[in-house]
Amino acid sequence: MPDQPGIDAYAAYLPAYALDDNRLDPTVPPRAGGPTRSVAGYDEDTVTMAVEALRHIAADTPAGRHLLLATTSAPYEAKTSAGVAHEALGLDPGVTALDLRGHRAGASALDLVLRGVATAALADVRTTRPGAPDELAQGDAAAAFVGGRRAAVLLARAGHTSEVLDRWRLPGERHDRVWDERFTAEILVAAGLDTARRALAEASLDTVDQVVVSSSNVRAATTLRRALGGTGQDATIERATGFTGVAHPGLLLAAALDEAQPGQTILLLSATEGADAFVLRVGDGVRAARGGPAVRAQLAARQRLGYGRYLRWRGLLDVQGPARPAAPAPAAPPMHRRAGWKYRLEGSRCDACGRVTTPPGRVCASCGIAGSDAATGKVSLRERTARVVSVTRDHLTTMPEPEVAIVVADVDGGGRLSAYATDVAPGDVVVGMPMTPTFRRLWTTDSIHNYFWKLRPAPADAAPGKDTADGQ
Amino acid sequence: MASRRTTHDVAIVAMGCTPFRDHWNSSADDLLVDAVQECVGSLPDVTLDDVDAFWVGTQGSGLSGQTLARPLRLAGKPVTRVENYCATGSEALRNAAFAVASGAYDMVMATGVEKLKDSSYSGLSAVFPPADGTDVDWTAPAGFSLLAPAYQAAYGVDAQEMRAAMTRVAVKNHANGARNERAQFRKAVSAETVERSPRIAGQLGVMDCSGVSDGAAAAILVRAEDAHRYTDKPVYLRGMSFVAGSGSGMAADGYDFTTFPEVVTAAREAYAQAGVTDPATQISLAEVHDCFTPTEVVLMEDLGFSARGKAWRDILDGRYDADGALPVNTDGGLKSFGHPIGATGLRMMFECFTQLRGEAGARQVPDARLAVAQNLGGQPGSCVAFVAVLGNER
Repeated sequence: MPDQPGIDAYAAYLPAYALDDNRLDPTVPPRAGGPTRSVAGYDEDTVTMAVEALRHIAADTPAGRHLLLATTSAPYEAKTSAGVAHEALGLDPGVTALDLRGHRAGASALDLVLRGVATAALADVRTTRPGAPDELAQGDAAAAFVGGRRAAVLLARAGHTSEVLDRWRLPGERHDRVWDERFTAEILVAAGLDTARRALAEASLDTVDQVVVSSSNVRAATTLRRALGGTGQDATIERATGFTGVAHPGLLLAAALDEAQPGQTILLLSATEGADAFVLRVGDGVRAARGGPAVRAQLAARQRLGYGRYLRWRGLLDVQGPARPAAPAPAAPPMHRRAGWKYRLEGSRCDACGRVTTPPGRVCASCGIAGSDAATGKVSLRERTARVVSVTRDHLTTMPEPEVAIVVADVDGGGRLSAYATDVAPGDVVVGMPMTPTFRRLWTTDSIHNYFWKLRPAPADAAPGKDTADGQ
Repeated sequence: MASRRTTHDVAIVAMGCTPFRDHWNSSADDLLVDAVQECVGSLPDVTLDDVDAFWVGTQGSGLSGQTLARPLRLAGKPVTRVENYCATGSEALRNAAFAVASGAYDMVMATGVEKLKDSSYSGLSAVFPPADGTDVDWTAPAGFSLLAPAYQAAYGVDAQEMRAAMTRVAVKNHANGARNERAQFRKAVSAETVERSPRIAGQLGVMDCSGVSDGAAAAILVRAEDAHRYTDKPVYLRGMSFVAGSGSGMAADGYDFTTFPEVVTAAREAYAQAGVTDPATQISLAEVHDCFTPTEVVLMEDLGFSARGKAWRDILDGRYDADGALPVNTDGGLKSFGHPIGATGLRMMFECFTQLRGEAGARQVPDARLAVAQNLGGQPGSCVAFVAVLGNER
């Protein structure tokens, strides 16, 4: 364990979509100034979002540490979801993949990062019943943290466990049940204030430069922010994303680190099933410690999503699909044999001609020369730009969309990908467009989630403000 | 390394072909019996006992040679089942031809069948081995639709011109099929009908796609020197080539989706064997694999009928119409017949056989002497390709 624990690197991941209107009847006037929720794409889940958050910062996690995936919405019961992320990141097998469950798991995962024993992704997908009062106040996001001290050092921490029936659901249920939030608020505010004061006392501080409060209970969050003298920056982010569950303390901390100056102090308070408080001093290396774009940049790049599409994506609206069999379920042995390709997008580079073959094979697709098993080079294509050679739009897709774009794209530096395009209106994908790989769930058949890489527009070409797929 | 004409020339002396239909009341067995009986029945002095060996092509309507042996109750005969994607029917004929050319047998039969309409799904329904789940779940039209934007970009063809050329392919082939009682669809269609059809993939609407039907076809092959013992009008296999692509078009950068390199190679070899030096002028008619309209556009160039980048223009100019300089898909093509996979290659051969014997009636191409049958399977970038040249002279 490091002498002075803290955070070395951090990243936030916000999906590309935002929902600000949940009227089932568009003829009634919209609610002005309401909240906006962050929405994961139909091809995203907590594993894919965790990979997107972790991919730029976690590759060097040393053996002996744990890779934590904290969520209330794991894609599998029983099977460890963090194992998929571990494989996608290509981590040392000596890193233990571990899931943390429950609403407090985000703060606990962060605590374990700060203790220097873990790399963690905090990811959640939050779905209420259509029309629930807080439907637009819940959201989807991920954040990731690697222990160290470049971004921040830990000055003090405190915790408080309260057994309280706040938000819960039975296995197989999709939506949280919620107890009267006025009752819960009182419990969480008391726990939060006590915990924050203990942490500040331990850090020998009366005040901090920035207060960040995350709570599953909106009343508690508001009261705690006011009581602790927060600027409201955290509430601003929250109104744009909704409460993102387990990811929320991580998302709000990442947003604070994005803008904090070295030497400033931050109090992060998570009030959920009790409370966790962390007092941090922002590190000198904070500007270089972020992986991926800043939270505000990701918020600005989002597309508005229509409510009908949202409901269909979440399986809350049963829409007639094409007369076409489900896409085939992948099989365990081929997935295992080809883990480098499936999870890390590794092609083979020919020892003889240097060109890249995808999927990797024993014999080069360009020159036909067989490489020896030992000599066959692997090349990861997932951080590269690929340019569209040709594109089609599949109007018979089995995905919950009227159509999806499929591209063949050539990777800068060699290699060719046939891939689904995502986070883009199919009609906007054109020959020559630069795209970048993103880890997604292609489909789920026979209770097997099929993860692989898709292509999304390279950041400069992202087209914000697109709502629906066109051409219908 | 060589690909040459067989040592012994081969001739087709009889063929049979069922109507291609929604054969709700016929099984694959029934269709094979129908095609084989028509084929054998056209030779007065030949019975099935005279056939030494059999090939049956099917993609998914049966396994093993018993696919044919059982329905016909063939006793003590060798029957080989072949599969080569959508070129399965051609593959049956190709291997049967080698068998007589080698001298191993004197008379062989190639058959092909597919029963697609027992499925509730439209389209083809191949079952692939368990895999890692990383392949795009392409529909066939999605795979082939990649041709259109790439072709347009490569040759500066605008969307309207490309649309017009694709529409012309559909209108032409349906007009031809309207005159063919064996076709599934026997109605001419308007350009408007084609262009207003519901979209399936990319620029392709339903009417840019071949139909889905059931059917079977059969051919009897002998060595050329024996042909006149059975018929006055044998059709000779002048050249034949087959290429199974390496798939490099999808596995490495470079391939541009404006051509089927596998077809180009197969055509070059078949033409060389047949002594064809200028296919654009020497070929009387061609049956080509119009699974989707842009496929036929690109094939006109791959087969050497049009210059690169010019096929769309030649199509619009009527060069490949029934009364054009080089009629293509005179029987109506896959567009009118649908595509029972194992049967299609032999159905193409059946039209060439009929035309070269001067028996095509209202569809007859005057003075037909050399015909091309071209059949492919897979998708652009990763396909199998068959090209044959047939003639009514040795």
